[in-house]
Amino acid sequence: MNTVLSRANSLFAFSLSVMAALTFGCFITTAFKDRTVPVDVRVSKVMLRNVDDFTGPRERSDLGFITFDLSADLQPIFDWNVKQLFLYLSAEYTTKSNSLNQVVLWDKIVLRGESNKLNLRETKSKYFFFDDGNGLRANKNITLTLSWNVVPNAGILPLVAGSGHISLSFPDKYETPKSY
Amino acid sequence: MLSIFNSIPTHMDYKGQKLAEQIFQGIIIISAVVGFVYGLIIQQFGWTVYIVLTGFVVSCIMTLPPWPMYRRNPLPWQPVIPETSAESSQKKKKHK
Repeated sequence: MNTVLSRANSLFAFSLSVMAALTFGCFITTAFKDRTVPVDVRVSKVMLRNVDDFTGPRERSDLGFITFDLSADLQPIFDWNVKQLFLYLSAEYTTKSNSLNQVVLWDKIVLRGESNKLNLRETKSKYFFFDDGNGLRANKNITLTLSWNVVPNAGILPLVAGSGHISLSFPDKYETPKSY
Repeated sequence: MLSIFNSIPTHMDYKGQKLAEQIFQGIIIISAVVGFVYGLIIQQFGWTVYIVLTGFVVSCIMTLPPWPMYRRNPLPWQPVIPETSAESSQKKKKHK
């Protein structure tokens, strides 16, 4: 503490310690918060095709097309320890070859300060809904769930599933692709 | 060039050092508490950081330069005793 540099050093070290304590306080005030909100998922159109999957098993695989409505109020999730949300809509189903299949159909990043109301109508899925075989045809229980990762300032990175999901069944027949 | 910097007096006396430490710790802790409460109320952690940084800058200004209030208790040094004989100085030189 005798020279300017030693004072600057202790001042800086003390400020950093205080800042670390505050960051921990920010984490602890939000650590036990429930970040689940109700989500309303509806499916308006389902279509099934059997096409060549050039990325996968080199066979004709099932490709589903889903048009969905999605609405949720994300406002209760945000607080001072949330920087952004990564939302994704995933489909879960069971086939003969796999007991659990999970396919992400759509995703979105919601930043802090953006519009917190999620309201989508007649939205097409962002990614291909490919099965790695023929497990989609006549599958009676395909569950669509909206989940999100909460990206915090400090602390854990929780993965939350929204309450509210929908089960849908795929048709028994393939829709024949039109050839032009 | 360096001698110019070295010639700037930066030292504080012992009581001044203690006072400086208490002052910067007090300022930073107060700004931390204020920033935490304010950030918690408006739910913006960025404001907490800004308020703590403000406290940091204020305490830098308050305690880094050796203001006169940190130099009010100089140590009472003994007056310089003039060397009496030439022998003692020779002995010292031998020791070195």
